[in-house]
Amino acid sequence: MPVIETVLIFAGIPLGIALLLALAVFGKSLKQPNRYRPGKSWDFAPQWFSAHPAVLTSSAPTGSATAVGGASGEW
Amino acid sequence: MSGELATETRTLLGYGPQGDHDPNGPFSPAQLTRLDEALTLSSAESGIPFSVYIGELAVPTRAGAEKLFSKLSDDAVLIAVSPSQRSLHIVTGAKSSQRLPNRACALAALTIRASLTQGDIVGGLVNGLRQLSDAAGTV
Repeated sequence: MPVIETVLIFAGIPLGIALLLALAVFGKSLKQPNRYRPGKSWDFAPQWFSAHPAVLTSSAPTGSATAVGGASGEW
Repeated sequence: MSGELATETRTLLGYGPQGDHDPNGPFSPAQLTRLDEALTLSSAESGIPFSVYIGELAVPTRAGAEKLFSKLSDDAVLIAVSPSQRSLHIVTGAKSSQRLPNRACALAALTIRASLTQGDIVGGLVNGLRQLSDAAGTV
């Protein structure tokens, strides 16, 4: 067999399989490298999301509310 | 009955992310879409305007969260998550606390906290919103 064929079959195929496996294992983290882990610093600006007022059945927020209850947690 | 299923198409999704995705933001577009959908659906079904805040809270964190809540209305519910201070607060008002008593909030806070220890902020919020809207019931 010619040399190039030998190299391709015995080195190329295992390398190709290793590359596929590496992509399968590390692919997701390459797409989003800044996944949050507890203890990691949080340098982003504060974000506040609210439901669209048109979807809500109640009237628009008046802007004055007193907190009555709820719950807290820490991790 | 004709046997047809009446489906309500929800083409209007909520406020959550506006405009183009900010590449320097902490969440991916898929995560923002999930959060947006969870906020819209849970608010629409329960009739309670839910609100989610992710960021630093003024110390002490409970007072900081309540100060943020004062910008909303009495029937609203605020879920405030502070990853840098590792604290989570659910705040209810005079009207929303009647539909969501403190024990329901405590259960939802437990669910959210469990996801937060794994580092899954959006997943925790989505599950917490669903649990709160289930506890509140439909309008």
